[in-house]
Amino acid sequence: MTIALETRSLTKLFGGLTAVDSVDLAIEENSIFSVIGPNGAGKTTFYNCITGFYEPEAGDILFYGESLVGLSPDQVTYRGISRTYQNIRLFANMSAIENILVGEHSRIRGSWVEAILHTPRVVKEEKQAVDKARELLNFVGLVGLGDQLARNLPYGAQRRLEIARALGSQPRLLLLDEPTAGMNPHESNDMMHFIRRLRDELNITILLIEHDMRVVMGISERIAVLDYGAKIAEGTPAEIQGNPRVIEAYLGSGAASGLNNPTPQPA
Amino acid sequence: MKKQLRLALSAGVTFGIVTIFLFLIGFTGTSGDLLADLFGNKSAAPLLGLTPQMINMLIFLALVGLGAGSYGARKSKGQTDDPWAPALIGGLTAGLVHGILVGLLAVLIGTLNLNHVPVNMYLASVLPASIKMFLLGRSPVQGAILLLVLFTLTGFLGGLLSRGVGRGSWRARSMASWKDTWDGFNQKPLIKQVRGNPATRYVIYGVLLLLVFLVPLVAGQYWNYTIGTVCIYVLLGLGLNIVVGLAGLLDLGYVAFFAIGAYTMALLTAPAPQHLMWSFWIALPIGVVLAALTGLLLGAPVLRLRGDYLAIVTLGFGEIIRLLITSDAMTSFSGGPKGVPSIAGPTLFGLPFNSGADFVYLIFLAAILIIFVTNRLQNSRVGRAWEAMREDETVSRAMGINTLTQKLMAFAIGAAFAGLGGALFASRNQFTGPEDFTFMVSVNVVAVVIVGGMGNIPGVIAGALVLKGLPEVLRELQDYRVLVFGALLVVMMLWRPAGIIPSSRRKMDIEKDTGVPGPPKEGGEK
Repeated sequence: MTIALETRSLTKLFGGLTAVDSVDLAIEENSIFSVIGPNGAGKTTFYNCITGFYEPEAGDILFYGESLVGLSPDQVTYRGISRTYQNIRLFANMSAIENILVGEHSRIRGSWVEAILHTPRVVKEEKQAVDKARELLNFVGLVGLGDQLARNLPYGAQRRLEIARALGSQPRLLLLDEPTAGMNPHESNDMMHFIRRLRDELNITILLIEHDMRVVMGISERIAVLDYGAKIAEGTPAEIQGNPRVIEAYLGSGAASGLNNPTPQPA
Repeated sequence: MKKQLRLALSAGVTFGIVTIFLFLIGFTGTSGDLLADLFGNKSAAPLLGLTPQMINMLIFLALVGLGAGSYGARKSKGQTDDPWAPALIGGLTAGLVHGILVGLLAVLIGTLNLNHVPVNMYLASVLPASIKMFLLGRSPVQGAILLLVLFTLTGFLGGLLSRGVGRGSWRARSMASWKDTWDGFNQKPLIKQVRGNPATRYVIYGVLLLLVFLVPLVAGQYWNYTIGTVCIYVLLGLGLNIVVGLAGLLDLGYVAFFAIGAYTMALLTAPAPQHLMWSFWIALPIGVVLAALTGLLLGAPVLRLRGDYLAIVTLGFGEIIRLLITSDAMTSFSGGPKGVPSIAGPTLFGLPFNSGADFVYLIFLAAILIIFVTNRLQNSRVGRAWEAMREDETVSRAMGINTLTQKLMAFAIGAAFAGLGGALFASRNQFTGPEDFTFMVSVNVVAVVIVGGMGNIPGVIAGALVLKGLPEVLRELQDYRVLVFGALLVVMMLWRPAGIIPSSRRKMDIEKDTGVPGPPKEGGEK
């Protein structure tokens, strides 16, 4: 099995605070991998290191064997990693289809000179880009909404548009940051189904940050747990569910010992 | 009821303050003169002891009073459907408060005047004569009572008139019927055919082109000059539109690039101080390229800054360029504070441009070129990247946009447009000096973009017409030109906060006229 993304003792410091503490991860190609952990565990910082927004203090990030450390965010995107945001961050005053076209930015090449002259190459490229954007709108189920301003779309549609925009850059690895935040159980079921389709139909490796345990346990093949920046556990959903260190991190040490010794000890 | 009274009260206070302000700047008296100019009854005989100017002033004050009444009535009417009683009480209250405030002012100023306090030493516009006029030639108390009565009555009347305005049913009905007529008009087969036909667009372009060709021939020297100025502001506006409207970089020193274009033209073509006397056509592209290069040079270090910080640094840069030009060290190079006279005009096949109209054509041509280029850029990969940066810089980086190069490009292209504008400006005026490049120019261009409609080409053109054309039209108002202009700007920003012609998105998902019904409008709750 090929490893899509690998981090080797990845460390990110903010002053005295260790936000990511020598994390080792290996994510197999074409898998759905979740990173979970309590609030402030360093999950989003971990994403920002991978996508080039933060430069890690130590360790390495390998994407299909090539190091990403020191690359700028646009270079990382060019190599095939794309992401969505925890709080939806669309280009609110642009139409849905334009949002996707911006996502395709790194896959089309037209320069400003060509744009002014409307060279045949750039006209053709632009037409293909728009077709591709329509296709993606179709894929995420937003047919006919392409000309709406992104900010006027309903919440669920905005979530899906954000994914469509990320798909515009033809990623091999997609980082999703809480894609089911703010959704009801029915909507998050749809989203789970949709994430599986991304993997199965587009052959994209999915890395997922999620708080909804039902979603995490339902679709992940492997799960890593972060606490205070360090990886405290990794394994299949079943292994993680039974891991006392994970329960401790989430519910406190008392709860974990309570689980291990169901009858309380007299004080 | 209590809340409605309070709203009416505040409306009265607002209008009271406005009227007092208008009096203190001397506008009440001038308004009388203006109305007299309009209706031409300056020399009519005095009526009831009132001079024609007083009557005119009263007409103006009555109009303000009506405004106060209807505003107060509408405020206090609120959401209720029965408008009569609240409207009248609201109008009356607003009028009364308005009258009391103005009356108090009249008593105060009148008494001061009676005691020979030189009010105009402190408030230059409040002359004894205008105080006398304001009090209608009577004693302070009498005058104040008359004004109080006037405003109360007009307030009541205004309340009466406002009945039904606003949320009133007749208005909704008339709006609906207008819309029906308009829709019916659009549904007619002939109209549909004309609208859907691409030839219509070319006909419109043709008519516009013909107008562009004819107007400079008909317009006189003065109007040609004004049209030229407006068009140069269109160039500047479109350039800054790329920087501010599309890329979202607030540049308050845009005048610097304008100055570089103008001074390149000046120094290369004028006999002094450089003795180069090159041709206009060589100097023009050099000016454009130099401005663009300066944009790149300035941009490289400062574009890492965001928002306010960028605005301050660019503002400083604009001032530095102007101060450099005026400085002693540069006097021998750039002509210093005296400026550069005798800048060459363009020639075409050896023939000089000797009429104002010729130059207007040249500026038109430049404007059309810039409009074309801007349009192409805006609807391209580059334009989308700019807009994405404006919307969310961080995310646009994550989407694969190299924000530094895109910002530099926006800055350089915007600067090039300004350079072109500056070169044409200097050549047309045949003179340029440091006072052409004050901070106010930058502010004006930012205003053109914002008032017109950010990120929108027709908006910027409309903005330039309004901001540079309207003041010329308003010249009739003499001293109050700037005041009225400012008031118009405030009204416009209240009325159309997104600009005269707000930006709209190009339709790409569903092709026009394919018969595919549009998507259902989703509620904009988010």
